[in-house]
Amino acid sequence: MSSAIDQAMDSDRTALSLEQIVADFETERSRHLRRGRLVQLLQILIITALLGGAFQVSGLFSSYLGDGAMGRITDFLGRLLPKLQPDHLFADRATAGSFAFWFYDLNLWVKLLAETVQIAIVATVLGAILALPLSFLAARNLTPALWIYWTVRRTSELVRTLPDIIMALILVAAFGLGPTPGVIALTLGTAASLTKLFAEANEAADIHQLQALQSAGGNWWQQLRFGLIPQVLPNVASYVLLRLEINVGAAAALGIVGAGGIGVELSRAITFTEYDTYFAVLLLIVRLIFLLDLVSEAIRDRLTGTEHAA
Amino acid sequence: MTTRSDLIERASLIAPNSVHLPWVNRVGRWSGWIGAVVLFGWMCHNLDLSVDVLAQGFTKLGNLTKAMLPPFANGAEINILQSLLVTFAMALSGTALAVLLALPLGIAGAKTVIRNSGVHFSIRRTFDVLRAVPVLVWALIMISAFGLGPIAGVIALALADFPHLAKQFAEALENSDARPPQAIIASGGDRLEAVRLGVLPQVIPVMASQSLYTLESNFRHAAILGVVGAGGIGFELQERIRIFAFDQVAWIVLAYVVGVTLLDWISSQIRARLT
Repeated sequence: MSSAIDQAMDSDRTALSLEQIVADFETERSRHLRRGRLVQLLQILIITALLGGAFQVSGLFSSYLGDGAMGRITDFLGRLLPKLQPDHLFADRATAGSFAFWFYDLNLWVKLLAETVQIAIVATVLGAILALPLSFLAARNLTPALWIYWTVRRTSELVRTLPDIIMALILVAAFGLGPTPGVIALTLGTAASLTKLFAEANEAADIHQLQALQSAGGNWWQQLRFGLIPQVLPNVASYVLLRLEINVGAAAALGIVGAGGIGVELSRAITFTEYDTYFAVLLLIVRLIFLLDLVSEAIRDRLTGTEHAA
Repeated sequence: MTTRSDLIERASLIAPNSVHLPWVNRVGRWSGWIGAVVLFGWMCHNLDLSVDVLAQGFTKLGNLTKAMLPPFANGAEINILQSLLVTFAMALSGTALAVLLALPLGIAGAKTVIRNSGVHFSIRRTFDVLRAVPVLVWALIMISAFGLGPIAGVIALALADFPHLAKQFAEALENSDARPPQAIIASGGDRLEAVRLGVLPQVIPVMASQSLYTLESNFRHAAILGVVGAGGIGFELQERIRIFAFDQVAWIVLAYVVGVTLLDWISSQIRARLT
């Protein structure tokens, strides 16, 4: 009985205050919208101020850009192109206007490209060898102690903030000009980034297989070797390949600070204003990186394919 | 009670290849490993990576590290921080220009927008070719076109980034759910409303977070561009290395690391809120 009266009174009260509720809701909603708009306005103002400041500081507004910037670029692009002559395209190196004249130092460039690839491969292999044990220490589920996990993680973050070229610049001062500082700089960068990626793969691995090995009497190393590595290998291999691709690009640029590879020729061509040479070397680099992408994609497909089949 | 060797013997009777690999495979595997090691050693030899060179270099590096401690700016603190600001300005401007360039191209490169597979293929391959050109290479070109200074760096960053961003934007569009805009059309909305309310809310957070990633990586690239003459922190760094003022080098590197960490932290905070 009483509950029915309560219900009736409740519905009565609701009916009475419905308008009030709607009005409250409307004021609340408009206040919310107004606040949202204010925040948006503030965000736009901050972003505009930041961008305006950035453009100002980096000289995008300065007047000398206005006169003929596009002209300067097209002029420059024109100078990049070689002056080929159609009637003796395939003549020897001494004839101006032939391909051989354009690519006049092809033997040296191919040698330097090979050096670039070797820098990348050696640095990737060394970096991966360093990163594998470090990644066990930097995985939350495998690390022997939390402070080791923390130290390895923070160190790898610190090294990752420094670009390869900056490291190479400092290392060139110690090791002298040549490929050695380039290899060391890339090795450090590779080790730091692969430690992080490997550690994340380790953390995602199924821990039960390690526990099974442990209960069968396997020690720490045997657990990792037979329980973890088979699980993470496909991921690890594809990270290494990806890093190899990145390292070839980086190694091509390292020569600009004197750390070996094809970049040496790039910066020489620019200093001697041989723009067509620059373009020729650039074409070779692009060709090389393209080729490598194809090769590593094929390897990656095969790796993941066989893993699925197994 | 069977012993361990008994068990192994019985296992190899049932499935011969499960316990020991056939010797052909074993020889193949070992020669593969030996070949790889020999190849690696040959490459190290080609690159002058001998113990002598390394020992000498690391001794010298030790001396340099000793000279770095303690880091000391020698009264150039304001100067260095200003050039760090210039580097950040380069990164931000370069990113902004790259986003501006990448937006229309990304839309054009999305399979779901332009259905003609020939057009799609050629746009995507163009991005691929452009992506192969490293930012330093663009910088060298732009410096000889615009002269020394941050402006060359900004344009180099924009040109190096926009193909990456365009590809990511295109993929964000392709991966967006097609049903929300369909629902809007079905309930009476026009195409503009479908894009504004059905597509943009899906792709804008993704694009914004990719742009922030680009900003982070550009801060690193901008520092590098300074080395080849685009001003900013890289230029200061190279100057100090040239005169072997390694205590100042250490100060600059520290300031730079703090700057990068700060930017990464702010950017990751914003990105966490976006998604």
